[in-house]
Amino acid sequence: MKDILAKTEEVVQKAKKLGADEAVAKTTFGRYRQVRFSNNQVDTTVAWNDYSTDVTLAWKKRLVATQIHDFKHVDASVKQLLTLAKVSAENPTFGGFAKGRFRYAKSRADEKLEDLQSLSGYVLEAIEVAKKEAGGKAQTGGVLFTKFEEVYLASSEGPVGLDSRSAIELSIRAFSQREASGHGVECASTLRDFKPSRAGEKAGETAKLAKNPKAGEEGVYDVIFDPLIFGSLLGVWGGMVSAYYIMVHMSVFVDKLRKRVAPEIVTLRDNPGAYSVSSRVFDDEGVPTKDNVLIGKGMLRNYLHNTSTAKIFKTETTGNAGLVSPTPWSIEMDGGDTSKDELFKEMKKGLYLTNTWYTRFQNYEKGDFSTIPRDGIFLIEKGEITSSWKDLRLSDNALALLNNVAAVSKERQHVHWWLFDMDGYPPSLSPYVLMKDVHMTKSK
Amino acid sequence: MDEAIADFALEYAEAKKVEYAEVRAHSQVQEMLVLRNGFLEAYASAVNSGFCVRILANGGIGFASTNKWSKEEAKTIVDLAFKYAGSANRREKLVFAEEKGVETKWAVAQKKKIENVPPEERISLFTDAHKALTASKVKIPATVMQCSVDLATRYFVNSEGSRISSFVPKIGAYAFITVAERGKTEQAFRQFGYSGGWEAFREWRIPEKLIHEAKVLKDVITKAKAVKPGDMDLVCGSEVTGIAAHESCGHPMEADRILGREMSQAGRSFIYEGSEFWVGSKIGSEAVTVVDDPTIEHSYGYYVYDDEGVRARRRFLYKKGVITEFLHNRESAAKLGTKSNGSSRSVSYDREAIVRMANTFVLPGELSEEELVGDVRRGVYMKSFTEWNIDDKRFNQRYVGREAYAIENGELKGPVARPVIETSTLKFWTAVDAVSKKVGFDAATCGKGDPAQGIPVFTGGPSIRLRGVYVK
Repeated sequence: MKDILAKTEEVVQKAKKLGADEAVAKTTFGRYRQVRFSNNQVDTTVAWNDYSTDVTLAWKKRLVATQIHDFKHVDASVKQLLTLAKVSAENPTFGGFAKGRFRYAKSRADEKLEDLQSLSGYVLEAIEVAKKEAGGKAQTGGVLFTKFEEVYLASSEGPVGLDSRSAIELSIRAFSQREASGHGVECASTLRDFKPSRAGEKAGETAKLAKNPKAGEEGVYDVIFDPLIFGSLLGVWGGMVSAYYIMVHMSVFVDKLRKRVAPEIVTLRDNPGAYSVSSRVFDDEGVPTKDNVLIGKGMLRNYLHNTSTAKIFKTETTGNAGLVSPTPWSIEMDGGDTSKDELFKEMKKGLYLTNTWYTRFQNYEKGDFSTIPRDGIFLIEKGEITSSWKDLRLSDNALALLNNVAAVSKERQHVHWWLFDMDGYPPSLSPYVLMKDVHMTKSK
Repeated sequence: MDEAIADFALEYAEAKKVEYAEVRAHSQVQEMLVLRNGFLEAYASAVNSGFCVRILANGGIGFASTNKWSKEEAKTIVDLAFKYAGSANRREKLVFAEEKGVETKWAVAQKKKIENVPPEERISLFTDAHKALTASKVKIPATVMQCSVDLATRYFVNSEGSRISSFVPKIGAYAFITVAERGKTEQAFRQFGYSGGWEAFREWRIPEKLIHEAKVLKDVITKAKAVKPGDMDLVCGSEVTGIAAHESCGHPMEADRILGREMSQAGRSFIYEGSEFWVGSKIGSEAVTVVDDPTIEHSYGYYVYDDEGVRARRRFLYKKGVITEFLHNRESAAKLGTKSNGSSRSVSYDREAIVRMANTFVLPGELSEEELVGDVRRGVYMKSFTEWNIDDKRFNQRYVGREAYAIENGELKGPVARPVIETSTLKFWTAVDAVSKKVGFDAATCGKGDPAQGIPVFTGGPSIRLRGVYVK
C-alpha cells in the first residue's frame, strides 16, 4: 500500500514541479461485484476491477482535472493537464485546497468483501425468505452489490492519507401479484452486520399486505413514511444543504441559515461513520470527515462545504469536498422517542407509504415537486391496515413536508438502493416518520 | 485501446466451454467544462479506456471488466466472467437470439472537428452565451452551464465472427437558469445534444433559446394566471409530445422490462402477456404512431450497430394507436421467440449492454400548428414542461407546463402558470385527435440500468392535440 501512496505523492510532486500552484491526487483501487436477479433466478453476475488516479490542479485560480489509469502515463498526463490550465479561464471563487496535516480515524473496512465468494448464496437466501412471506408464487428481483476500495490521497497542501472502504448491499423487490409488491434493502459496511433475510422478509411481508390493491383516493393525509421512502426525502434535503446548491438556487434552504425549517423533533446530520456504506475518513481534499449537524432541533445550522465554498460563506470546511461541489456522504435523521408500533397504533386515519421513485421538481428553490410511491401503499384506520391502494402520487412541497414532521420513530434503518444512485442521493440512516397534511393526487 | 488484447481475451474465452463470448472495448476521450454564473468552475479532461468480457455458459451470463490493458488482466476477467456464468444455476437456461457475424467499420462524420476546437474557444462560447443572457434585462440570480464532449472509439468482437469498429463523437450541453422577479423565482432547464462535430454549437442557438426562456419565466411570475381546472383541449408542443412518447411509449415497450428483468429497479410495464395490453392491443387513437429510430443522422441517440453487433433500424412502437413492436436485445428476443431489433446499448466498457431507446418520437401528421390551435374553443397550449414523472409500470404520468398559454376560440391568449396534466397512458394517447406536420427534437439523457447508465437520446414529435382531458 505504501508503494501506491508514494506513487500518488509523486503525481502531486510532478504537478508542482511543472508549475501547478496546488495539486491533489487520489488513487482508487476498486473491486466491485454484483449479482442481478429477476423472476427468482440469477440473470447475470458482474465483476469490475477499476484502477484510477484522479488528479486536480490549480494554476492561477484555473481549476482542471483528469484521470490517470496507469502510473506509466503520469508525466504526459500532468503536462497535458497543466497545458489545459494555462488556456483555461480563472475561477474567481476558487479558494484553494485544504491546508495542513491531519490525523484520520482508522479505516474499518471488511477485507472479507474484497472478493466475496458464493455471492448468489446470499441472493437465494433472500429470495427464499421473500417467497415464504409473500407466497410460493411470488416473483422477486433485485441486486446484491459488494464494494472494496483502497484509496490513497496526497495533496500539495499537506494532507496525505490512506483509506479502505467496504460495503455490501442487497435490494430485493417481491411481487405477490402483478400489482402487489414490496421492497426491502439490507445495507452494511461489513459482512458481519449483513443479514440478507431481513430484506427478503420486508419485501415479502409488504408484498403480501399489498395484495388486491384498490385505486387510491386523492386528498390530504397524515402519512407514515417507511425508512426506504423517507431515505429518498433525506437524500433530497441532504443534497440541498450543499453550499453549491445554495449558490445556484437549487435548494429550498437558500437564505434559511440559522432559521427554523422544521419542528424541534427534527435533527438531520451528515455522518459517514464506520457503519455507513459510504464510510470514509477523509474528503476529496484530504480533510477528515466528521459528523456534521445540518438541521439541529429544527434549526438550519450548517451548509456542507469544501474549502472554496467555506471561504465564500466565511466559515470552515465541513469535510465534504467534492472539488467543485460539496457533497453529502451519508444523511442521518436522529431517532425520536416513539416506537414504530406506536406510530401506527396512534394513527386514526392516514396512509403508510413504503417506497417511491421519480422525484421531480418544478422549482428547487420554491420546493414544489411530486414523487410516485411504489410498492405497498396502505390505508391505516384506527391503527390497523385496512386496505391496500395503488396509483397515487405525492404532490407537495419539500420545505412544507419538512415542517410537517409530527413524530419520529426510535427505530432506524440503513437504506440505499438503485434509485439513490439514479437521483444522486447519498445512503441514509432513516427512521419511520409521521407527517401531517401530505397532498396526494392521482390520474384523471 | 489495444485491439490485440481484446482479441486475445476473446480467444482465451473461446477456449473454455462457452456457448457465447464477446469482448467490447471502449476508449472515450471525455471532456467537460462547468460554468457557474458565467465563470468557469473547472475543466476536466480524461481518457476512459477499458474492455469487458461477457460470457454465456451453462445458460448463465457472466460479465467482467477492467481498465488495465494487459494479457494477464484479460485472463483474470475472462476467468471471472466464466466462473460467474457457471454459478448462475438457472432453471431456465438463457440463450441469445440468432445473429450472423458482421465485420465492418462505421463512423460519424464531423464538419468541424471537436478535437480542433481549443478549450479556450469552447469556454468563451459559453461565457458569451451567459453574457447575452444577462444582457436580456431579466433578473437572473443564478445560472449553471455545462458542456461535455465524448469521442468514443469502440471495438466489438464475438465468438460468432463479428468484428466491428466504430467512432462516434458526441457533444452535449445543458443550462439551468433561475429568474427572479417581485420576490419570486422560476427555473428552467434546457439540454442540447448531437452526434457529430462542433458545428452543433451554432445549430443549437443556445443564447437565443436561453433569452427566450428567461423572458418566459419572467412572464410566468408577472403575467401568468392559473388555469381553472376542468376538462378541456390540450395542445402539446413537441417538447411535451417527446417526453410523453419517451416515458409512456418507449419505456413500456422495452422487452427486458416486459419480461421482468428490471423489476426491482426501473420496474415492469403495463404491457405483459395475458393482460389487456399486448401486441395488437389498442393504446391510442389512429392519429398516434410512435417510432424509435437510431438511424437519424447526427441525432443524440444515433448508431449504426448496437452494442451486441446488431444492425440498427427504425422500430414502430405504436402504429396508428396499436401496440406493434417491442424494443429487443438478443436475450429478450430469444425469450419472446423473435430477433433482436438492435436496441442493446451501453454507455461504457464497464456496463452491461441492455435494452435502450435511441430517438423516440411521434410521426407527423398533416395539420399546421395554427390549424391545431384554431379548432380549440377552450384549452391550453403546453409548449414545454418542467416537473414530470410516471409510475414504474409506465401508466400514470404527470407533466407540468413551463411555457404555456390559454387558448380561447382558436386563438392563443396570455400565459398560464404551471398547468398540470395528470393522466394515464391510455387516456393520453386515446385523446389525441390530430398531430401537426412539423417535427421537433430535444436531447435528453435516459436513465436505466444498475449501475446507472445515463444514455443519450432524442425525444420529439410534432405538436399534438388532445380533446377533453382534465387540466388543473
